[in-house]
Amino acid sequence: MDSLAVIVTTPPNHHFTETAFQFIEQAIEQEINVIGVFFYQAGVLNASAHLTIPNDEFPLLPRWQQLANSTNLPLYLCSTAAEKHGLIDESQTQTKLIDSAFTMAGLGELVQLHTSAERVIQL
Amino acid sequence: MIKTEKSIALLNTTAPFASPNAKDALDIAMIMGSFEQPTYLFFAGDGVWQLKSKQDPSKINVKDFLKTFSAFEFYDIEDIYVCQQSLDERGLAADFHIKNVQLLSTESFSHQLKQHHTVLTF
Repeated sequence: MDSLAVIVTTPPNHHFTETAFQFIEQAIEQEINVIGVFFYQAGVLNASAHLTIPNDEFPLLPRWQQLANSTNLPLYLCSTAAEKHGLIDESQTQTKLIDSAFTMAGLGELVQLHTSAERVIQL
Repeated sequence: MIKTEKSIALLNTTAPFASPNAKDALDIAMIMGSFEQPTYLFFAGDGVWQLKSKQDPSKINVKDFLKTFSAFEFYDIEDIYVCQQSLDERGLAADFHIKNVQLLSTESFSHQLKQHHTVLTF
């Protein structure tokens, strides 16, 4: 089976993020094995638990949550990028800042995705 | 040439101190190198500014991460390509702050880029 990893580098209000999401959905529908999504650069902001996006602007967070729950697709969050974007609270209350659908990871996880996936797509 | 081993190309297209892209691409290059992954660096468009010598980003309160480029050889990152046309368009000489940079025509540049399993653009 074909395998795919996707790298998201754009924030939630950037249209590329919606494109990435639809790309992943379509890949899964076509029975491509999506092995992981890696959020890098401003892409980590997609994991913020405090996003407030009007419903008529198609908020992605509920859809990332649903995707992660229904497929067990790992959503990796680059920890360094998360720190730089204010998503890590040193007082250990970070679960409040980051939605639980996302998993903290290092860049080593990106290396793993690159070596494991037949194709790597970046948006 | 078809490579059997997976390789990654990092395509740098933005100026070093205009956005975080250059530093973020560098971080990936170093981690790929640390994990002994064949890593190839490409510089085109405004990305060629990353190779220009004698830049002093401390004047604009930016950390001089370009210094790290000189460590590439210790990470076995030895294939560094720059697009000749991008240099010409910006009036830049082939005066780089690191050694062993290969100047390529646009055609050769894109041909080299196509050889790699993963291409990430910053």
